[in-house]
Amino acid sequence: MALSIVREITEKTPPPRALYLRFPFGHALGEPGNRNQQLAVLLLAFRLLFEADRPGTIRDGRLRWRRENYSPPDWEAFRRLGPGL
Amino acid sequence: MPLSRLKNRMLARIFTLFPFLAVRWGRKLAPHPGEVPWVEPRTPLREAVLALVTTGGVHLRSQPPFDMSDPRGDPSFREFPAGTPRELLTITHDYYDHREAERDLNLVLPVERVRELVAAGALGALHPLAYALMGHIEPPHLETLQERTAPEIARRLAAAQVDYALLIPA
Repeated sequence: MALSIVREITEKTPPPRALYLRFPFGHALGEPGNRNQQLAVLLLAFRLLFEADRPGTIRDGRLRWRRENYSPPDWEAFRRLGPGL
Repeated sequence: MPLSRLKNRMLARIFTLFPFLAVRWGRKLAPHPGEVPWVEPRTPLREAVLALVTTGGVHLRSQPPFDMSDPRGDPSFREFPAGTPRELLTITHDYYDHREAERDLNLVLPVERVRELVAAGALGALHPLAYALMGHIEPPHLETLQERTAPEIARRLAAAQVDYALLIPA
């Protein structure tokens, strides 16, 4: 499972599954200190891990870089993730 | 610091400020000719062991730094305990602006976030070893990365019965 911050590069060297984020270099998880944003990235990444059905899947995370209030993590949403989603 | 390294750091800041430059660069890259690997996930996240692999140039201060003198990059990797105290880690990578990653290492190596997942019962465990590369590698080192470095990391993860690996770019 990979994160991607430049879709055009990821498309050329496709990992099995990649979550694309429109974030700057050096910020694949988001802004420094923004715990909720970082956990939102991880939830989307793990969801893709179990939902992707073909090699080379790149999904746009559609998360905003700034000016977004991220909710506290939904742990139950993480706990539900597994094969056969 | 040599002038060439200062130039690379300046370019890294420019690429961070103007992401369309990286997009244009990416469009010019040749597609990887090999097959894309695929393994079906078999373990629920709450029972899985997750390993972190970053291309952010992170390493122990006591380990040799990635080689910044070769403009084609350094295809080696560093293995270190994922639970290493922050003050014992550093970043050697001139090709992205890592000032904010230095402030919050979770941006390129989200150990603290993953530990929260484990504590919440959302993830089985964090693999005790983390792996780091530097993500600016050009031929001929690209071949070394693809044929030696990456397979070696994969072998180690498989031998340790890691279920999933999260690759974080820089």
